[in-house]
Amino acid sequence: MNAETCQVATGFLFTRECGLPAEALCPNCGRRVCDAHLTSTEEGALVCTACAGTATRETEDDASYYYDDYGYYGGPNSFWGQRTSRDPHDFTEADGGSLRHEGDAAFEEDMVGS
Amino acid sequence: MARWLLYALGGGMGHFTRSCALARVALKRGHRVSLVTNSDFAPDMPLEAMLGPGGRVYRLSAALDKDAVREAVEALLEGVRPDLLVVDTFPRGIAGELAPLLPELRMGKVLVHRDLNPTYVERFDIASAVEAFDLLLVPGEDAAFAGHPRAVRTAPWVLLGQDEWMSRAQARAWFGLESGDARPLFAVMGSGNAVEVAEAGDIAERLQARLGEAAAVRWLVPPGPWSPEHPHARRRKRKPGRVPPREVWPALAVMPGVDVLVGAGGYNTVQEARVTGTPLVALARERRYDRQALRLRPEELAHTGEELVARAAALLDSGAPRGRSPATYAGGAKDAVALIERIVLSA
Repeated sequence: MNAETCQVATGFLFTRECGLPAEALCPNCGRRVCDAHLTSTEEGALVCTACAGTATRETEDDASYYYDDYGYYGGPNSFWGQRTSRDPHDFTEADGGSLRHEGDAAFEEDMVGS
Repeated sequence: MARWLLYALGGGMGHFTRSCALARVALKRGHRVSLVTNSDFAPDMPLEAMLGPGGRVYRLSAALDKDAVREAVEALLEGVRPDLLVVDTFPRGIAGELAPLLPELRMGKVLVHRDLNPTYVERFDIASAVEAFDLLLVPGEDAAFAGHPRAVRTAPWVLLGQDEWMSRAQARAWFGLESGDARPLFAVMGSGNAVEVAEAGDIAERLQARLGEAAAVRWLVPPGPWSPEHPHARRRKRKPGRVPPREVWPALAVMPGVDVLVGAGGYNTVQEARVTGTPLVALARERRYDRQALRLRPEELAHTGEELVARAAALLDSGAPRGRSPATYAGGAKDAVALIERIVLSA
């Protein structure tokens, strides 16, 4: 492990540390965080995206939102693009497991089910 | 000739690709065909070009909610006034919107009956929903109501006939291999959704690192922003030696040049591998309705990314890339149109 690099895990299929140069420490979990994985909470605190994602899920009851920037149209949150800000709907490492074990409660509610 | 409306709602590429296979044959038979999709892949797909003259495509936004989908489907039925409605996969509709409409619709009704999650089948009384259809077509694999008195099995439906596939030499050239290059070619198929398309790139890079100079690895992507050909694609700096994305749709066209296909267990990937006799290694991706693990043979199924790469690499060691099976019958959609004409439209 490199002492200078970001420790936030990325990837769904192959989870690994980000590895970009770290810019800060997450005050919540203590991990080293690069600029791309640093984000601000609604309260204004700078935390890593994994902690922010977990906090968002804990306070968000509406599971039926539409993920409206899925990297499809090359916007700033495109996964091909350089991220300069974080959409609260972005996937984080906290989502990997839940995506693979979705319940069946959303039959006929998910308009892009397959 | 009849007016057909093909209902291909649902995510990914499976619903509209299977429906396009049917539409192409119906159009060649002189029918007028409209197809409706709400897939988030659809905006970038050359569906009209694939269907050819006479084919019409309605793209609903993937962002439409349940009520909006219901309204759009009702408006389409009213506007198109089809003689025949062909519903892919969802007998009640993706939003359940078809269930109250079907008994009143005065038109031929056909269900393309693919596998469905048994919990959904039970909780939403799909057994009653299928009774609204004049014909259930079961395209190449088992399904819950394949034994229904009005169900007919066909060979798998794929988008291109064998005469439309590239030759092996043409396909290898398309992949950028020199004529004297005898290395086997591994193709990693990006499909499913944006995350899975990107993951296919990771898989390709890991596989290339594992195989080294012993094989060529390609990352195939459908049209979309991940493709370098897309007008809105963000340029991503890739390190030298990494596997770049290569746009193709349908990938079936180049499959004769592929020695090992690596991907997921969706209908099209699996059936395209089957009909071309291409060895397949795949993940069973989680889906709300489809059960990909059931579609894959035990020797094809990998449970993790690491296992996927290891299994694909093992095929190289075992010599399997040299032993692809002969192509099999690819005319399921043609037979399906003949069945519809005979059983439904002639009634």
